[in-house]
Amino acid sequence: MSQSGATVSQECITAYNELKLNKKYKFIIFKLSDNYKEIVVEEASDSKDWEAFREKLINATSKSKSGAIGKGPRYAIYDFEYSLASGDGLRNKLTFLAWSPDDAGVQPKMIYASSKEALKRSLTGIATELQANDPDDIEYDSIIKTVSKGLAG
Amino acid sequence: MAQQPLSSAAQPTDIYGGDEVSALVLDPGYCNTRAGWAGEDVPKSILPSFYGHSTATPAQNFFGDERLIPRADFEIRNYMNKDSVVEDWDVAPKIWEHMLINRLQPDKQTAPSKNGLNDDPKEKTQDGEGDVAMEETENQEIEKLLQENPLLVTEAPWNTPKAREKTTEVIMETWGCPAFWLSRTPVLSAFAAGKATALVIDVGGANTSVAAIHDGMVLKRSIQKSPIGGLWLSSQIRSLWETSEPKVTLTPTYMVENKTPVDALAPVQARLRQFPYQIHSSFRAYEEERVLTEFKESVVEVWNKPGRLNSPGNEDFAKTLPGRVFEMPDGWNQMWREQRFKLTEGLFDETAGYPLPEEERVGKNQTIPALIRAALEAVDVDLRGNLLANVVVTGSTTLINGFNDRLQNELAAMYPGMKIKIHAAGLTSERRFGAWIGGSILASLGTFHQMWISRKEYEENGPGIVEKRCK
Repeated sequence: MSQSGATVSQECITAYNELKLNKKYKFIIFKLSDNYKEIVVEEASDSKDWEAFREKLINATSKSKSGAIGKGPRYAIYDFEYSLASGDGLRNKLTFLAWSPDDAGVQPKMIYASSKEALKRSLTGIATELQANDPDDIEYDSIIKTVSKGLAG
Repeated sequence: MAQQPLSSAAQPTDIYGGDEVSALVLDPGYCNTRAGWAGEDVPKSILPSFYGHSTATPAQNFFGDERLIPRADFEIRNYMNKDSVVEDWDVAPKIWEHMLINRLQPDKQTAPSKNGLNDDPKEKTQDGEGDVAMEETENQEIEKLLQENPLLVTEAPWNTPKAREKTTEVIMETWGCPAFWLSRTPVLSAFAAGKATALVIDVGGANTSVAAIHDGMVLKRSIQKSPIGGLWLSSQIRSLWETSEPKVTLTPTYMVENKTPVDALAPVQARLRQFPYQIHSSFRAYEEERVLTEFKESVVEVWNKPGRLNSPGNEDFAKTLPGRVFEMPDGWNQMWREQRFKLTEGLFDETAGYPLPEEERVGKNQTIPALIRAALEAVDVDLRGNLLANVVVTGSTTLINGFNDRLQNELAAMYPGMKIKIHAAGLTSERRFGAWIGGSILASLGTFHQMWISRKEYEENGPGIVEKRCK
């Protein structure tokens, strides 16, 4: 498997476990450090505002080799909570989101895509994985449909 | 001006493991081979994979477009086969060396009198006994040539274990690279589009392939390929010209001494060059291909309105669309209209297009829609939706106007109700050199040093290490 060889910092795993086991966070956004060597936590938050989360992804940036700032990919864990349409109560689903906007530069896209497996393998217990490439892909309604396999009410 | 960064030659190259690893990237294809420094945006050296071979004694090879000129006893050959796998292992390392060393690091090359590349045959014959000694020094020096450069080489996903082993041998034994890696082209294309999971459609020069990538791995069973590609399209154009009324004669540029501009469809007024020797048919074919390429770039289009070209009414509508004039090297020129669309129709519909000789005809399982269907049927049903939402289109032939729209239409008709999203790089260079660019970024990463297969690992495990590590 071609992978970049980027490493995952311990804080990613710590924050993930806080989210998974202690429900301390609603979401975590991860990024590659500026030298592209390590995956680090950019933000961990307990805010339930999906739109704010979505905006953060859309406005994420990364620096190209030449120093120019452009759109940037990110990874995120989001703890989806939804009630079943059948009325059988609430469900939670830990979802891994690989966000790579099509209009980001080829270098950050390449590095994020080839480093993804390293992060995903470090985080155990992920229920669903999504790959999203434009703002339409991360509309709440369509995402919840995919995450719940159409069972959300 | 004083603030300018150091040129790549002046930058330190000793921080192996830092971001300047002085790694090289080599991307061999049937039509072109691309080579350059990791970290650069485009490959610095792009050479035809076709090379000239002089059949006079002693035999010698000529690399690079500028050396492929009319000569006596001169054939054009290719070191790859049409499946994009290296076939001639005597020539491949020579072309590669010519690119990686002579073209990219000319200060490193062995003296032209010794490197055996593009020798003047006369000199060699006069050498007599001195020859043996020369060969020896040559080999010693070559061994040192790439000792400072890790090398990433791309390969087709169906590359054979034998070819991989051969490549490894050349890299480690002949060139003495400190480390190397082999990358599958569709994985690099998917990554460069920001996707670890994707359906990669690569329409190249000699073939078209479709492969499903999941979490950065090629799903072997999904791999489909077919000979439709740039060269197949050339055959379509030849067929169009053959059957045209009046018939269009393809006179390649090298044959034309001078020409006088003429009106459309008017008889050619050109004087042709005479050669005092026989021009080999392979040379002529290669030169004809240049004219065909120009025609593809400037005239050919893909039907991208609803339906196929042979759907009711579409062909009549195509006739009303604006045409394009093409002037042949000998001055013949004419307007092409609906033919422009019909040429590419066979990519999608095996019953359309112009008649071809039997060995070049494609079956109904070899069109692009058929390849996609077969690729998807070979993978887990749960994965199909995800792949259709992440279609990555790459390869030079996809640059033909209308290709992406048409592909979208075909997929929408094949998979109604599914979300279909096609990703195709906007920059021409990213579509032409997608795999090279992906390899360039990967190999330039400081962190990639832990991925490279090092000399030590190679020496402990032998060439078989490739099958274990580069999956």
